[in-house]
Amino acid sequence: MTHPGFEAQIDAYLDGELAPPDAVELEEHLRACPDCSRLERRRRAVRVAVREHLPRFPAPDMLQARVRAQVQAESRQTDRRRAPTWTALAVAASLAVVAFGSWQLALRDAAGEAITNQVLASHVRSLMPGHLTDVLSSDQHTVKPWFNGKLDFSPPVYDFAGGGFPLVGGRLEYVDGRPVAALAYSRRQHVISVFLWPAERGRTAGPRAATLQGYHLLHWATPAYTYWVASDLGLPELHDFAALLRRGDSAAAATVR
Amino acid sequence: MESSELERFEAVVLPHLDAAYTLARYLTRNDHDAQDVVQDASLRALRYFAGFRGAGSGEGRAWFLAIVRNTAYTWQQRHRADTLSTEFDEERHSETVADEHPEAALQAQSQRAAVRRAIAELPPEFREVIVLRELEGLSYKEISDVAGVPVGTVMSRLSRARRRLEDALCAEPEDC
Repeated sequence: MTHPGFEAQIDAYLDGELAPPDAVELEEHLRACPDCSRLERRRRAVRVAVREHLPRFPAPDMLQARVRAQVQAESRQTDRRRAPTWTALAVAASLAVVAFGSWQLALRDAAGEAITNQVLASHVRSLMPGHLTDVLSSDQHTVKPWFNGKLDFSPPVYDFAGGGFPLVGGRLEYVDGRPVAALAYSRRQHVISVFLWPAERGRTAGPRAATLQGYHLLHWATPAYTYWVASDLGLPELHDFAALLRRGDSAAAATVR
Repeated sequence: MESSELERFEAVVLPHLDAAYTLARYLTRNDHDAQDVVQDASLRALRYFAGFRGAGSGEGRAWFLAIVRNTAYTWQQRHRADTLSTEFDEERHSETVADEHPEAALQAQSQRAAVRRAIAELPPEFREVIVLRELEGLSYKEISDVAGVPVGTVMSRLSRARRRLEDALCAEPEDC
């Protein structure tokens, strides 16, 4: 039997949350009351066991990346909201000039521009809660078969964890009027989206880069696939990543031959 | 939001992502929901940050954890059917045994499993005060801010939670 009023006091005492006069009074009682002092020992043991065996969970890199992307998106949005109408026009005009200048893709036709916008929108949308992956796995042998029956092609899926770009998962997207494969890779706290679908015959293209709303886009076409890559990662590192993908593809093609 | 406000947000709120994710893990009991809850909560935190006047890291933590907690409860109400069917305790399924001292390792492992099971079986209002107190080291006052209940209630919940843990862990008198 313990004294009911003392139980919560004992816990508060162990937590260092009891006011000093109350703590002194409790200590006197513990010395005099074997039941309460046994309870105090048991509560100490419980606290030790809980602290020793209950894990803390560090936030996964992917979560950190998504949260930081939100903060960035918020600051971009604010910049847009704060511009008054007439300056907005001026900004839009200067942006158009900048875009024209930095736009190295051969995408003057409206169709190409539409794809660019779709790719960017898909990437940004994937950073919103719950949209990053339909299949969450760093195992290429889980991600690749997941696309079976969902697409009319089986996309090449690589794991570049060794190169510092671990696979995160895959999802379905709809780009250029057809369902396409989207793969998510990560680099530190950045997310990289890779979009691919079977290429039109004979239309290969070297890697071209573009920057839109703070995101970098890369595009190239192999004889087999049309590739788009989107990320807020720095352009040099994104080029490294693209090189890995292209190397993976040519190694795979060499095996087939 | 001004860019100085965004910098303040990064300094005051973002350092507590681990604490946020830990709390969300214990409330939702799986990784996927916990990630979504924390992401949702940080979006809300961004939106309401203008109303947050505190400056210290401790205040930022309590403020952010309160949002995480509320988001987790709303989330569970909305996705109750899902979470019940997909709930999967990774910890319980990924135990590994140390090579050395197999007996001691087994004993530690069984105690670890017992503690985790006892925590998992606590009602959420008890589980959260234990996590906030034992893992995050929050004061009663901070816990009262996070959970939105008076300090006296924090004190009695903690005590009742520990009584349940004691009952679960100290079944044999020599255990404790």
